[in-house]
Amino acid sequence: MSNHYHSIFCILPPHMLQEIIEHGTPMQRRMALKNLTIGAQVRGRRHDLTQFAKLQEEAAGGLNRTVFDAQHGSALPGRKVRGEGDPPVGDPAVEEAYDGAGITYQMYKEVYGRDSIDGRGMPLNSTVHYQKGYDNAFWNGEQMVYGDGDEDLPISERLFNRFSASLDIMAHELTHGVIQAEAGLVYRDEPGALNESMADVFGSLVKQRSLGQDARTADWIIGAGLLTSNVNGVGLRSMKAPGTAYDDPVLGKDPQPSHMADYKSLPYDNGGVHINSGIPNHAFYVAAYELGGRSWEKMGKIWYVALCDKLNRTSQFQAAADITLAVAGDLYGRGSLEQGAVAKGWQEVGIVAQDSGGGDGGSGGTPSELPGCLPMVKAIMRLRG
Amino acid sequence: MRIYFERSGGFMGLRLAGTVDTDGLPAEDADSLVEMVESADFFNLPAQLLPDTEGGDRFQYKLMVEDEARRHSIETDGSSVPASLWPLLRRLTILTRAGHGGFDTN
Ligand SMILES: [Zn+2]
Repeated sequence: MSNHYHSIFCILPPHMLQEIIEHGTPMQRRMALKNLTIGAQVRGRRHDLTQFAKLQEEAAGGLNRTVFDAQHGSALPGRKVRGEGDPPVGDPAVEEAYDGAGITYQMYKEVYGRDSIDGRGMPLNSTVHYQKGYDNAFWNGEQMVYGDGDEDLPISERLFNRFSASLDIMAHELTHGVIQAEAGLVYRDEPGALNESMADVFGSLVKQRSLGQDARTADWIIGAGLLTSNVNGVGLRSMKAPGTAYDDPVLGKDPQPSHMADYKSLPYDNGGVHINSGIPNHAFYVAAYELGGRSWEKMGKIWYVALCDKLNRTSQFQAAADITLAVAGDLYGRGSLEQGAVAKGWQEVGIVAQDSGGGDGGSGGTPSELPGCLPMVKAIMRLRG
Repeated sequence: MRIYFERSGGFMGLRLAGTVDTDGLPAEDADSLVEMVESADFFNLPAQLLPDTEGGDRFQYKLMVEDEARRHSIETDGSSVPASLWPLLRRLTILTRAGHGGFDTN
């Protein structure tokens, strides 16, 4: 990672910063806002300061949930059944989607200071009862969507329960939105598997936090309770032991690897994004377990900063390893227990993480939060094509 | 009528694939399958029904249908599928899961 630009303050004209604030990614917006306020302070111009206050107000946002009912059809978002602050409507799927979005929002807000999916209070829309026999949940680029499992089959043949029944699955879907707004990891091959892993990591952290579990008491299962009693399995994935979540005559055996040596380049699933995510998932688990305590606090923070400020669209596993190691060094010090745990996590899955972010005297701050010229200029060039 | 069906991706990333031959089905099931192909206007669907938005965890479907006179394939991730195609996709999912193929078991 090249962090060499962070020590230089950069004062760009307000109209350029405005352009970034309106059209840039959340990370670019944060940097632009910071630049704008510093610039305004330097110049002491009242107009700029007023404009800054206005932008800050716009950015206030807040929790704003809506749950829709597709009524077993395929049209999205469907009929609105519950809005923010409305009382329960007596449909478990609606209540789950509403509460799940709220619990996930609270973790991002209270632990990472993030206001919703885009960092600016984006409304959280969820649709339940999507189609008939839809054994899946997905993020469509704008909202969360949940099917009811295979409710259209006789009970003895059902493999899946409704997908909103699992808090970590709902948090996983919402996190796909956060990833899209931040690193934007391309949904294919290694970047795609990293995308999937990030969604699992924060999905699991939301669940662990809601249950008050630490790294050693959590089960690290994704989608526990999603499989019916007809299936031999404990959930859809295991971060603790990828490849062991189920082993069943109909579903087959959980295909997730937990080591680079077993990476599978597959001709489906976008190259195996839901399969190879087992590798970075396990790295996070090992790192969190090694450090102990509440995983959303330190290890989650390291992964969060990496996702928002360091990873990019095409990052691979090695980059994720190097970046999380560097972020751990930036946040908690080089040679810290936290950094050691991150190194161990990646090592366990066959990746040697290299800390390229050292040598800045270990100020303890997050360099990427300091405004600099290069990212601003890049953003403007990108926006102007 | 012969149908090759494949569904992959989704939250679990599993591949479910198989071939259904209406000759091997009870007459009633065969008729209803042919009817679903017709009401979906399958042979006139574009070969690629591509995503209209970014996203995650969608299913990806591949279908090839052939009878004496025609043969057509489509590929879709479900985001721009006509509502009339969904019943066929669901029926094929159930059939391939129950003996006419299955999940990859590695
Ligand atoms: Zn996902």
